[in-house]
Amino acid sequence: MNIDEIFDFTSFTIDREPHIVLDPQVCAGCDNRGCIHSCPGRCYTWSEAEQKMTFVHDGCLECGTCYVVCHRKAFTRWRYPRGGFGVAYRVT
Amino acid sequence: MKTNFQAIVVGAGPAGASAALIMARAGLDVALVERGTFPGEKNMFGGVLHRIPALEEVFPDFWERAPLERHIIKKGVTFVTEGSSFSTVIEAGSFDRPPFNGYTIFRPRFDAWLAGEAVKAGATLIARSTVDDVVTRNGGVVGVSVLDRGVLNAPVVIAADGVLSFTAMKAGLRRQTFDPAQMAVGVKALLDLPKGVIDERFGLVRNQGFANEFVGCTSGVRGGAFLYTNYDSLSVGLVFHLASLRTSSKTPYDLLNAFLEQPQVAKMVRGGRLQEYSAHLIPEGGYDMIPELVGSGILVAGDAAALCNATGVHLEGINLAVRSGVLAGQAVIAAHQSGDFSRQGLATYRRLMEESHVLKDLRKCRLAPHMLHNDRIYNDYPELVCGLMEDIYRIDGGPKETLTQLFLKRARKKIGVKNLVADAFSAWRAL
Repeated sequence: MNIDEIFDFTSFTIDREPHIVLDPQVCAGCDNRGCIHSCPGRCYTWSEAEQKMTFVHDGCLECGTCYVVCHRKAFTRWRYPRGGFGVAYRVT
Repeated sequence: MKTNFQAIVVGAGPAGASAALIMARAGLDVALVERGTFPGEKNMFGGVLHRIPALEEVFPDFWERAPLERHIIKKGVTFVTEGSSFSTVIEAGSFDRPPFNGYTIFRPRFDAWLAGEAVKAGATLIARSTVDDVVTRNGGVVGVSVLDRGVLNAPVVIAADGVLSFTAMKAGLRRQTFDPAQMAVGVKALLDLPKGVIDERFGLVRNQGFANEFVGCTSGVRGGAFLYTNYDSLSVGLVFHLASLRTSSKTPYDLLNAFLEQPQVAKMVRGGRLQEYSAHLIPEGGYDMIPELVGSGILVAGDAAALCNATGVHLEGINLAVRSGVLAGQAVIAAHQSGDFSRQGLATYRRLMEESHVLKDLRKCRLAPHMLHNDRIYNDYPELVCGLMEDIYRIDGGPKETLTQLFLKRARKKIGVKNLVADAFSAWRAL
């Protein structure tokens, strides 16, 4: 199985507003960044060059892993998407 | 939109829908609030719904009505190493007859059905609505606020909003942060496979199903894997303890991929076409993780109350969620009769839960989550078991050793006798 493709098999209704917002300062100072590889949706990427964490809400599976894994409380917002938006499972 | 109700249920999953159903049947005016477009849209799990006596009490012909995939007649456990596997399988004739012992289901279908039954009974489903706070008066919960939608009022709220339950947090019933040691994340691939192929491959007929769990396939991360047969698809996935995954620098999807490519597993899933990928948290801290179940004007049920029995042998959640939802509903019905929605007035729920199997089981298995935080279970023991079986059956022209000799040789090298005794004792105590 091509791992890059598995993310394309999940459906989303994408909101303009992200439901999770990070404080980049906190992420820059983090010594763990467990979110990057723990996130099943591959939503977190760390840029070594820019020293910057990016979260893309488009592919968020709303599983809650980052909320629990982040020990630096980097979230200025962590809520579920507005009603009707976000991941839409069909047969899982 | 109507905003005043006799009870509000946050979350239309198994716990919430059951609570709404019980209350609506008793004549209460109930709002069932769901953030998805429809109930079940946001929900995933491994795939096996254990028998739910609590629902059979409501629907005596449950298995005729509910949208089920297959009933489980065969359960297996497989120890896996990189190149070998050792399985045990129980197939029981009694599992093939009503009342069936468990089923595979799809949550978007099952949850939608159960919530639909609540609506038929008179509950008002308010979908596409994300609850973001509770409304309080004089220290008691008297409603909820819905993101972008305004406030809903009721003298009592049931928080059935899932594992992170922000509703219970806002009401001060759960702690502000979670311990990664008490959480697991599950990832799953749904693979299409023709019914005939599944029947042939796993030795099934009619709607018979197979449920198999695996240990040893998580590259040292504490966790396990599963493979369940749906009608014409397979649910295959892995579960990881978050405390272990966080420090592993491995990703859930790479580990899923490696599992699907393990030679013995690859043969089981061959030809499967990916349909959907999904993930969710599981509250695996057991009894010690349960928040306050009752507050003034509020009750907590299902995953929101961390009602999950994951001992390794048992992997139960939805059956506990449904039972807790039913009992929360009954407590609210009683509170409406007495007119007392205070913490004392709603304490019936705590008492009913203590009397039910839910808290009895979780208390009995209280030590299991600690026992499972042992890296040897996920690497060394599967290698020991598979290696020992290979030793036993291998014919190499030399003289045979006794089983005890073979076992001790492997166990000494792999685990150490002291660890072996300690682990056996801890497993015996926990289970």
